[in-house]
Amino acid sequence: MIMKQKFKLALAQISCNRGEKTENLKKIEKIVTKAKKHSVDLIVFPEMALTGYKVRDEIYELAETIPGPSTSIVERIARKTGKYIIFGMPERSEKTQATIFNSAVLVGPKGFVGKYRKMYLPTHSMFEEKRYFRPGYQPAVFDTELGRIGLIICYDIFFPEVARLTRLEGAQLLVCISASPAVRRTFFETLITARAMENTTFLAYVNLVGIEDGLQFWGGSRLVGPQGKTLVEAKYDEEDLVIGEVDYSDARSVETFVPALRDLRPELFDKLKESAEKL
Amino acid sequence: MDWQDVENKLTRFIKDYVEKTRAKGIVLGLSGGIDSCTIAVLSANAVGGNKVHGLMLPEKETHNETDIKHANLIVNKFNLTSQLCDITPVLEAFYRSIPVFDPSEKVCKGNIKARARMIYLYYYANKLNLIVCGSSDKSETMMGYFTKWGDVAADISPIMDLYKTQVRKLAQHVGIPKQIIEKPPSPALWPGQTAEGELGIRYETLDLILYGLEHFMVTCEIAEQLKLKKDLVEMIKKRWISTEHKRRMLLTAKLEYRTVGTDFRLRRE
Repeated sequence: MIMKQKFKLALAQISCNRGEKTENLKKIEKIVTKAKKHSVDLIVFPEMALTGYKVRDEIYELAETIPGPSTSIVERIARKTGKYIIFGMPERSEKTQATIFNSAVLVGPKGFVGKYRKMYLPTHSMFEEKRYFRPGYQPAVFDTELGRIGLIICYDIFFPEVARLTRLEGAQLLVCISASPAVRRTFFETLITARAMENTTFLAYVNLVGIEDGLQFWGGSRLVGPQGKTLVEAKYDEEDLVIGEVDYSDARSVETFVPALRDLRPELFDKLKESAEKL
Repeated sequence: MDWQDVENKLTRFIKDYVEKTRAKGIVLGLSGGIDSCTIAVLSANAVGGNKVHGLMLPEKETHNETDIKHANLIVNKFNLTSQLCDITPVLEAFYRSIPVFDPSEKVCKGNIKARARMIYLYYYANKLNLIVCGSSDKSETMMGYFTKWGDVAADISPIMDLYKTQVRKLAQHVGIPKQIIEKPPSPALWPGQTAEGELGIRYETLDLILYGLEHFMVTCEIAEQLKLKKDLVEMIKKRWISTEHKRRMLLTAKLEYRTVGTDFRLRRE
């Protein structure tokens, strides 16, 4: 597989029609078609873009297997347009009828590429994810023509080990899809930059907008470079589509300037595990 | 269901709440219908009939002597305290004082009746330190078939987790006379109104559909098992979901650290 050193991606900051998968899929198709005109190779949609975030008990009926009917529709869009697409959806385990994961899906011009199951499920304040979801246990990094893409979801970003592990598995571009309400904005704006800098990697963050059950998602999707610079940024609170460029050669100078990965001390991780167990 | 067990649980629930809130008793709207009569009996069994105030709140358009007779039957059989207030003058004052009032809009007009009754109940509750005990059942609550801030307004609502067809069984178990159980339920907001007529479905069928939805069955499964048209089941499901606003705490915009109705999670009695 020939890997591109440089490519454009689109941050598709959308609001969703809750519970209406067909409509949301149509929206995804429309935006992919629109983004195609900007010669992008990858279009990223927010967490739970298929169904909307706050669907509560309806999730049992909305969740699907991955691959499944909805991913095959998005695969068709990817094949037809020749683009990579990342989006979020509730995933039902093939082995049970009501075990659900909060997942991110990556499809490409040749079809299904892979999925990631959110590891950290917020269950505090207005969040109730553990009530519905089982956490994932595996980092997700996929080899593509656009380099090695690692997927994380929303609250995962508060835990540096998720991005770090994904980076150590080889991710060159971290993609974080999100459904973050406005009261969390300042946390995210700092953490997005931090995760990119400490891992000397590109990070594309795509957030939902719109209001669901009183939660106002703040948008502000962005592409941050390995030096922590925000390369492009979407509007707050409104739907938006912004295009950014990833040039992997930018990472080299940062990796030598602040060699954070070279200087990793694995022995500290054992200590970290021990201390965390004793918290 | 073991109806003795259900009765025990509900009477314990009512008694416990009255004791914990240090209320002197219970006030309830006693229409003479199956739900309110059942609640009256459960309340009497819980705290004693002398501490249960049944308010009969008729008005001239829907006045029904049989309902009053049925309410009195329960009052006498279970030794309740009761009072009859004709709410007609209050309603007429409302109608007169609303510049845009249109008597032909029967739902808007009917809702005034349900909300006026709520005001009477809470007046008695405040004056006499009583708990307002609601009599909404699960079928009408899931369908949103009630008046927001009206008949549903209460401090506790003991039979809200029982479908109408289950309330009928409980009613029979607690000794509600047959003629009350068998008459067609009506919110009595306008003459000739019946719940089943307005909902467009019999409770026997509705409750089975709702039971399926409660158990996360999808609409085509429910339709297939009950040999019903899928459209009907879809319609019921849509109505259930679209009326959630009537069943939840007020919606506010999340702005701050902890928010009323969202993430203040305090204990209650």
